[in-house]
Amino acid sequence: MFGIKKLFSGVAEAASLPADVRAALTDWQARVVDDLESTHFLTRYVVLDIVTDGPDPERHRLTGLAATEVHRGVVAPARSMYLDLLEVADEEDRARRLTAFLQFIGKAPLVVFYAAYVGGFLLPALRQHLGLSLQPRWVDLAWLLPALFADKSHQPMPLDDWLQLFGLDPGEGRRSPNENCLALARLFQMLVVRAHSKGVDTVAALIEESKASSHLRRSH
Amino acid sequence: MEKIGAMLQQDGQRRAAASAVAFLSRHAPFNKMDPESLQWFAEKAQIVFYPAGNLIVGADSGTVRYFYLIESGKVQARQAGEVVVTEYSILSHGPGESFPIGAVTAGRPSTNDYTALEDTFCYQLPAEDYLTLMAKSPEFNLFCTQYIASLLDQSRRQLQAQFAQKASEQQTLNSPLAGIGTRNPLAVLPETPLRDAFQAMSQANVGSVVVVDGEQKPMGIFTRSDLLDRVVLAELPLTTAIREAMSPSPTSLNEHATAYDAMLAMAKEGIRHVLITDHAGALSGIVSERDLFALQRVGLRQIRQTIEAAPDVDALKTAAADVRQLSFNMLAQGIGAEQLTQFISALNDALTRRVLQLNLERHDFSGIDWCWLAFGSEGRDEQTFSTDQDNGIVFQVPPGEDQAELKKRLLAFALEVNKSLDQIGFPLCKGDIMASNPQWCLTLDEWRNQFTEWIRVPEPVALLNASIFFDFRPLYGKVELADSMRRHLLHQAQAMPVFLQAMARNALDVAPPLGKIRDFLTDLEADAPGKIDLKKYGSRIFVDVARIYALAAGVHSTNTLQRLRLSAQKMNIRGDEINAVLDGLNFIQFLRLQHQYLNGEPGRQGDNLIDPEKLNELDRRILKESFRQARKIQSRLKLDYQVNH
Repeated sequence: MFGIKKLFSGVAEAASLPADVRAALTDWQARVVDDLESTHFLTRYVVLDIVTDGPDPERHRLTGLAATEVHRGVVAPARSMYLDLLEVADEEDRARRLTAFLQFIGKAPLVVFYAAYVGGFLLPALRQHLGLSLQPRWVDLAWLLPALFADKSHQPMPLDDWLQLFGLDPGEGRRSPNENCLALARLFQMLVVRAHSKGVDTVAALIEESKASSHLRRSH
Repeated sequence: MEKIGAMLQQDGQRRAAASAVAFLSRHAPFNKMDPESLQWFAEKAQIVFYPAGNLIVGADSGTVRYFYLIESGKVQARQAGEVVVTEYSILSHGPGESFPIGAVTAGRPSTNDYTALEDTFCYQLPAEDYLTLMAKSPEFNLFCTQYIASLLDQSRRQLQAQFAQKASEQQTLNSPLAGIGTRNPLAVLPETPLRDAFQAMSQANVGSVVVVDGEQKPMGIFTRSDLLDRVVLAELPLTTAIREAMSPSPTSLNEHATAYDAMLAMAKEGIRHVLITDHAGALSGIVSERDLFALQRVGLRQIRQTIEAAPDVDALKTAAADVRQLSFNMLAQGIGAEQLTQFISALNDALTRRVLQLNLERHDFSGIDWCWLAFGSEGRDEQTFSTDQDNGIVFQVPPGEDQAELKKRLLAFALEVNKSLDQIGFPLCKGDIMASNPQWCLTLDEWRNQFTEWIRVPEPVALLNASIFFDFRPLYGKVELADSMRRHLLHQAQAMPVFLQAMARNALDVAPPLGKIRDFLTDLEADAPGKIDLKKYGSRIFVDVARIYALAAGVHSTNTLQRLRLSAQKMNIRGDEINAVLDGLNFIQFLRLQHQYLNGEPGRQGDNLIDPEKLNELDRRILKESFRQARKIQSRLKLDYQVNH
């Protein structure tokens, strides 16, 4: 259900990928979802944020990717990634970097703020440059926060509003995508505690909650 | 591929650390650390969330694995184990504060249980990284090993900066030498005959000439005071080259050195001039002792001279104002509370002595042994800017003299002295603890009996009196009388443990204003809501405890810091432990002085009421730590004297 399907549908780039990238992608595909996902604590989550040169996936491009790992209740800046897509030398270099980023993510559930937006940029990019069709397990904070912290806000809100509601310092000026990941990671840590108290104990349950909230709040 | 992955991760790690670096650079001691160490901390530290009520690290958690720094929220520390779990052992930490420093440094389990009081985010640095950071960063090392001493130092620097503005209308000892003293002083080459050099000095009307080489680098100095010894008495012909008569290798400092450096050099080397050189080492100026004193406007020496030569009380009034001005300057220059209070006391002593001398011109007590005593803060050598009179007289009746008659004469004299002191700025004592009160103008035997009585029957009034009068110090007259009082007092007090226990109970009546949840209790004074009386709930706690230990250990000093130091030695209290206590007291005294200076109005007594909310974060934290030290010595006293409240 959470697997990745490689689409060959005539994507020329995929066939022309260098050998090391192809090998790494095959490796990555062969990886299985960690079977230690019995609790949030044991699940390796990856918080993800993107940089784009505009808001519309149809017209604008993905220019950067940032990620940070949340595992065993700890956010470790040392376990972070940043990929600047404006800096790549050529198509091969881009493919290599994207693959390295993918290796870091592994098969972890992805914690994001607005999965539709993040996915709208990320998935086509992976398809185009790696010939991959990624089907991530989104943990979407934009919908989970109002679902689990309805006492604070029943409706989705901008990220900074959530940070302020929780007494976290949104910082001055624009946050870098990596700083954004850390801010999301903090919210996520609080969210997990709340989820536990409501009996939402596993990543699967959390994703269900995320989907349900998105559906419920969108259709009202 | 792996290499690229590592590169991306390095980039990510560096960027992710930015928010932690921003946080760190707002908090001591991290704000003083070099960027490299900060980045290192930020990259290694993990971010952890503790919901309210969760234990973060406790005595049962085994060897401490992390150093914790609170990012947001509140953490309660509670002493673990069977040791008296009273309100004494609970306190709370806020953002920017870290724990458990001692345990993680020593690699042992924590003695406290740390629990999140609110939802809390902490940075946690693994113990091995913590130790590496200590080795890497001298600032961090200092912070961890001298927890409060280092904070104190930073606070003092902040204060200096704060005062810089207030003192800007006058140059201070922190000014660079480039702007002080004489520019382009008279200089001659070493081969110049003495006659030519003297003529040049005479024409320029200066007292000194610098001898320089071809590149204007100083080789020597010749001053008017050298003339007698080196030329006249040495019978040197005036055709001699000046190099034969000059003082070679004169002391010089760079233009960027401060006036303070020059003062230090003069004091150390016993010289009156320091040469100033530019970046190339060429002579650019000269600064004299007089320049430096002019800089302070009021110099220590002048004040002493003015006091000692004052013809009447009016002249002393000016000198007393100068003492205050000089003390303010010293405070602004970051002189510590201990030195400053002693300094104020020393000059106030000089003022009082001169007042006594002036009044003695109209009273003759020749052939009579008597001594003027100082009590209270004056007796302890720890006066602040606002201080009233506490004094008395001890005397002996010579054979054939009538005691009542003599006392009458002494009282008349004392009344004039008390009035004079009031005139020069030491207000009359509201409680009438003054030498002109017949109750406190006593013979040696009367004083001894009085002391014995207070010690034998330690009722409330006796204990209150003990806290004032047992801190006596002779100021003028026959010092031996005071010594005899002291020996009597120590002997009596040591023979009556019950008295010391009563004093201990009394000393424990007031606790430092630390809250269980809030940092400080600010509602203890009904007429000053939101404020803390730093004397009543701060310094007095230390003073009271020190007095008891001094009496118990037979320490003759009256100064609180001395009392604590000396009795700690006798009672085998660890050095670093007592130093932390002394730092705590010093900081509270420092805040009192600062408050009295910044809030005091001329001619009015400053108070000791501070609003902790108005302190900067650093000062607030040190104050909290200082109160903890007060609580610590109180706990010790409680234990030592088995006081159960």
